[in-house]
Amino acid sequence: MKDCQMFSKILIANRGEIAVRIMRTAQEMGIRTVAVYSEADRQALHVLTADEAVFLGESDPASSYLNVDKIMAAARETGAEAIHPGYGFLAENPAFAERVASEDLVFIGPPAEVMAKLGNKTTARRLMMEHQVPIIPGMTTAAADNSRLSAAADELGYPVLVKAAAGGGGKGMRIVESRDALAEAAEAAASEALASFGDGSIYLEKYLDKPRHVEFQILADAHGNVVHLFERECSIQRRHQKIIEETPSVALTDELRDRMGAAAVAAARAAGYVNAGTVEFLLDGSGEFYFLEVNTRLQVEHPITELTTGLDLVRRQIEIAAGRPLPFAQADVSRRGHAIECRIYAEDPGCGFMPAPGQILFVRAPDGPGIRYDHGVYAGYQVPLQYDPILGKLVVWAEDRPAAVERMIRALKECVILGVKTPIEFLVDVVSSEPFRSGRTHTGFIEENFVQWQPDRVLDDIAVLGFVAREMAGPGFALEENARARADEWLSPWQRLGTWDLGR
Amino acid sequence: MNGFLPGSDSGPGIWAADVRFAEGTMEYKVKIGPEIYTVDAAPLDDSGSTNMVLEGETRAVTVSAVTPNHLHLRVGCRAANLFVARTSEGSWIWLEGRARLVQEAGIVERRKARGLAETTCEVTPPTPASVVRVLVEVGREVVKGQGLVVVSAMKMEMTLVAPYSGTVRAVNTQVGAQVSPGEILVEIDALPEG
Repeated sequence: MKDCQMFSKILIANRGEIAVRIMRTAQEMGIRTVAVYSEADRQALHVLTADEAVFLGESDPASSYLNVDKIMAAARETGAEAIHPGYGFLAENPAFAERVASEDLVFIGPPAEVMAKLGNKTTARRLMMEHQVPIIPGMTTAAADNSRLSAAADELGYPVLVKAAAGGGGKGMRIVESRDALAEAAEAAASEALASFGDGSIYLEKYLDKPRHVEFQILADAHGNVVHLFERECSIQRRHQKIIEETPSVALTDELRDRMGAAAVAAARAAGYVNAGTVEFLLDGSGEFYFLEVNTRLQVEHPITELTTGLDLVRRQIEIAAGRPLPFAQADVSRRGHAIECRIYAEDPGCGFMPAPGQILFVRAPDGPGIRYDHGVYAGYQVPLQYDPILGKLVVWAEDRPAAVERMIRALKECVILGVKTPIEFLVDVVSSEPFRSGRTHTGFIEENFVQWQPDRVLDDIAVLGFVAREMAGPGFALEENARARADEWLSPWQRLGTWDLGR
Repeated sequence: MNGFLPGSDSGPGIWAADVRFAEGTMEYKVKIGPEIYTVDAAPLDDSGSTNMVLEGETRAVTVSAVTPNHLHLRVGCRAANLFVARTSEGSWIWLEGRARLVQEAGIVERRKARGLAETTCEVTPPTPASVVRVLVEVGREVVKGQGLVVVSAMKMEMTLVAPYSGTVRAVNTQVGAQVSPGEILVEIDALPEG
């Protein structure tokens, strides 16, 4: 790739809201976009947004969004010069990054070898330890035999956490409270890790009680410049997956922020990082922080950093990939106000957050001051069964945290999605709650405060009256479907049968 | 019990048990999750206003359709924007972040009962009310759908009808009595099948 020459066309190897979000910046930069899609996504928003779209294959990910050969063929066929992987799918797959580079295309993300180094948790832990980045006490190599695990656990003191070396997203992870539960938990974690990542190696870490999840956004160019763009607190999680993120974190003083930011930059430098990345830390109640992992991709929650720093992270990613140096230094990066993101999935919060695919019947985007809604849905869209059920991300910015909380509540109440279950009502309750308002957030927040959550009946009376009013109003409301259905109920079979001929 | 069936001896024009008329008033049974709400509603006037009685409480309701999916509702002094999407199961209604699948309980029951023998139902007011008229006496033969008792609540009259044909066994109320949901006002011995 010629240095500093901007791409004229990029392929986005992803789907849904993130593919749409990347395309928007590309369009603003005058770069043509290529979407790829599966059978289930023939009419998905990312396909409708792109300049060109290439069909990959059947809906299962292996035949489509994880199929490297088909994606490479699509890039060649359309003449794309670079590939943005989004998040998930192939975003953190070093073999894919390697393949893209080997075919003389640009991978918009870090180099394959950096990704490989950071993708393995024990390797990353050793690397960070060597560069004075604090890590969670525990093992720095994987172990399979129970005697070694048991000895390490005794040294750390229970409870301990069994983790998959190749892990992520809470898979292959087990909390172990006592020695007699260790062997079984280790075995279960290893088999889950093998099934999820094709690598069953596990190791132990000290289990931290009620830590906060605080991560730092970093940007590194190919010329040795590394900056951080402050933190995001992502403590509100369900099933070890983030659902609410905010910046700044109420738990950080300026002094702690500086130290953690410096550690994040040190971590990026240690790995030889290039492009946008995220250094994740756990922060305990005493203000000690520990390296967790580096996410070598654009994060789902990147918009809150964009709103507070005013930077477009996708633009920065594309420019870095094109070889351009960062146009600013650490001292030039500032932030303002407070931003919160709520993730909106097709899932049922009253039923263990079970995914709830189906057809979207009606949507209405929230708007007004300080609101950003990144989504990939429209009325009539069928939410596929095959993929992560994220529908969109609702992001607000306001001058301070209390104002941002109120704005988020308003935005959620305006964010209409009908036809599939969403956690919007649950999110309103979480954001409105006293523990959230007062900033007492930690990774066990949902389990501690909202474990038996159910929808309330506070406004059901208004819904009932509205329903009846609509029934009564009749033709003015275009009562097409149900009017017919109801009329049918009262027709005789002779009337219902329609026209027919005797003797046929 | 619902609709009028061709060939049934109740004759045409008898409405389903969940929708009764008294001077233009309709009764709706509306289901949200496990809850069933009873609403008596007088017809909308030209400005889209009416009184509705929900669980015994009268509400002044004004409705306007902004779009086919958007209702603006005024209940007393409270204004609300409702977003509605219809499905074969009922209507999804959105209100301030809450999405509720709202169903007409009569339709739900009809679906469940389809193909099965008709079930009995009781002669009881849908809401606390006072008895205005008693239209039958013990020993009287009644046909399904025939008016039995007229009750009044919040200036609206409702006629409670016979759920099935038969002979009146007992009348447990009188004019002026205050009655509540669950009280059986008239008991009927069903006509033998066939």
